[in-house]
Amino acid sequence: MSHVLIVEDEHHIAEGLRFNLEAEGHHAHIVTNGIRAVDLLLEERNRFDVVILDVMLPGRNGFEVASAVRAAGQFVPILMLTARGRPEDVLRGFEAGADDYLPKPFELSILIARLRGLLRRGRWSQQQQQAPTAPPPDVFTFAERTLDFSAMEVRAKGKSHPLTLMECELLRYLVKNAGKPVSRKAILEEVWNLHEETDTRAIDNFIVRLRRYLEDDPAKPKFLVTVRGVGYKFLPHQGNS
Amino acid sequence: MTRRQKAIVFFVAFCILLVAAALSLNVGWIVINARRITPLIWGILTFALIITGIIVYTVFLVAEIKRNEEHDTFINAVTHELKTPIASIKLYLETLQSRDLSEEQRRHFYEVMLADADRLHRTVEQVLKAGVVREKPRTITAMRLPVDVGALARDCVAVVQRRHHLPADAIVVEAQTEQPLGVRGDPDDLRMMFSNLLDNAVKYSGNTVRITVSLAAPTPETIWVRVQDRGVGIARTQLKRIFNRFYRVQTHGLTHVKGSGLGLYVVRAIARAHGGRVFAHSEGEGRGATFTVELPRDPNPPVEEPAVAVGARTSAGA
Repeated sequence: MSHVLIVEDEHHIAEGLRFNLEAEGHHAHIVTNGIRAVDLLLEERNRFDVVILDVMLPGRNGFEVASAVRAAGQFVPILMLTARGRPEDVLRGFEAGADDYLPKPFELSILIARLRGLLRRGRWSQQQQQAPTAPPPDVFTFAERTLDFSAMEVRAKGKSHPLTLMECELLRYLVKNAGKPVSRKAILEEVWNLHEETDTRAIDNFIVRLRRYLEDDPAKPKFLVTVRGVGYKFLPHQGNS
Repeated sequence: MTRRQKAIVFFVAFCILLVAAALSLNVGWIVINARRITPLIWGILTFALIITGIIVYTVFLVAEIKRNEEHDTFINAVTHELKTPIASIKLYLETLQSRDLSEEQRRHFYEVMLADADRLHRTVEQVLKAGVVREKPRTITAMRLPVDVGALARDCVAVVQRRHHLPADAIVVEAQTEQPLGVRGDPDDLRMMFSNLLDNAVKYSGNTVRITVSLAAPTPETIWVRVQDRGVGIARTQLKRIFNRFYRVQTHGLTHVKGSGLGLYVVRAIARAHGGRVFAHSEGEGRGATFTVELPRDPNPPVEEPAVAVGARTSAGA
């Protein structure tokens, strides 16, 4: 049983979603404006397991809600749901801190599958946090930098940065494929489970953020390098100079 | 600052720079040719022409950038207005398809979908009407049927009341005259006009809807239909612009209202096509708004079956 927060001011869609989520055995709570959504997510940090967030909202729009919530250190998985399906909007959504994105109109079954995915990831990372005795520590260290997947943070240059779920997943994927170039499309498929023709530039924003955490000079990346025309390559042992 | 605002600032600055350069050249020319009349006059005229050209060009450019921006907001708003009901209908259809439902739930879902289909229909009508208005502003109303405005307005009130699930006393109709108020025109268009005004009044009313519709005949030749709400009101500076195409009052906070920005534009176009006009009045923000439609009265109203036009086409719906 999971608690889902629906932030949506269109009553019909909100009620329809609630009906379906309850039929799936979840608890759903509806909020109809952005200000209330931010308040609720920051007041009761552990109440919700996943958030369905609309973009066009009274008060504060979905992008603003996502950034505000993330800036305050609330990393609950967010699925953005919006009528705006243009690449710029997808990109802005991810940039604001969303973990997944669905344009309206959506398929009910896909929405539910994506929510399940987000819930599952949330549970995994919780389990990892709760089980510190897990035999192999879920940590990757290179060039005085530590990627701590269980604590969901990066420690580098004497500072630590919290990671969102999707940043964590992306790093994990990059580490798994260290030394090999990976395409944006492969990242979208493997990390986000997106198989449609979404604009693959959305990835770039994540990479920019990760570079900020990892690189000495994010403008001249040594570890997370761009492979022209393909995507990215993670080179953990390049920084020995 | 958005990219467009930056572009506007840049072009205006560039224009000022060019004008300044032209002016200083002009002064130089005047100093050099102070004693020769013909080149002096030619020079001044040419510089004046160049300066005018630069200014006209910049004004045109800025207007075009602004229009582009309005168009973008419009596309955004209409995308939302079209996709939201479709998303809702699809969601409910998939729910009906995949889940076991009680008869009561089923019936409720059908109602929701019907309301969404209506909303979709209204948006489409609005966009189509606005398109026609833009192409041929004067000829949108080919029909000249006798219409009883009083009956039509009451009809629209009933439809809007049902659409927004309002209590019976939320919208009050006051007739200030006993005579039938007949005009000649297109009943569908007039219906759209009143519905738009009533919808707006409801949308901008906030939580407590209290609307008064008054029907009056200020002179023997004119009819007034007045829709008065007690909602968020309109700032004085925006009163004129609200009838512009795509223009939407900037609301903030929780009074945010959705729409295409076409409603009042269509209202004004329909009023004008019927030889009338529409004007807005508001005491300011937070103090409600009043919209008055003035229509010319039908000089020879039909003696018999005065409501035939209304009755016959009611099913076409608002």
